[in-house]
Amino acid sequence: MGEVRVEVLFFGRIADIAGARRMACEAETLLGLRDRVFPETPPGLRMSVNKVQVTGDVALNAGDEVAFFSVFSGG
Amino acid sequence: MIALLEQALNAAAAHGEFLAENGHFGAVASFTGVVRGEADYLYLDWYPGMTEASIQAIADAGVERFGLNAVTVLHRCGRVDAGEAIVFVAAASVHRRAALEAVDYLMDRLKSEAALWKREVADGVDRWVEPREDDALSLERWR
Repeated sequence: MGEVRVEVLFFGRIADIAGARRMACEAETLLGLRDRVFPETPPGLRMSVNKVQVTGDVALNAGDEVAFFSVFSGG
Repeated sequence: MIALLEQALNAAAAHGEFLAENGHFGAVASFTGVVRGEADYLYLDWYPGMTEASIQAIADAGVERFGLNAVTVLHRCGRVDAGEAIVFVAAASVHRRAALEAVDYLMDRLKSEAALWKREVADGVDRWVEPREDDALSLERWR
């Protein structure tokens, strides 16, 4: 399928590590995107695609909204 | 009903409304969380859409598990100052046990599973708040 352009959001401590709150990026899969964004995978990294939490790898579609975040701290 | 509030949460008013609407079932229980004075303020970061969905899922689970007649979860997001209410949970049922336990359950789940990221600002120092081990353990009792 090839690489697609996706919107990437960051929350929690992960946003500090990424140095951004949002960015556009291109990738083929979720883990491929993760590795492109983070030179080293931060411990405790959680991920979502289109607001649904995902563990493991999935193929991305153009226009998907991906989020990388830390463990919820609770309210 | 669930709501994520960027403005102040009036827990007393919320309780009054919930009681007026759902008191007729017979039993109403509630919990209010207030930001302690240890911090100047907390900042709750949230993911519009996903945070509400995470809270709704928890509320729905509470209704199903305890057979509630009504539930409300009102949660702040953004900046919450010391002394301000940060969360309000209420449950209505026919008999008291379900309402009382449901509020306890809902709070335990919210503390671990609501999609919120908390920063604490105290004496000018800004730091992310990690989840408490207590909160993870609290979830275990509901398994």
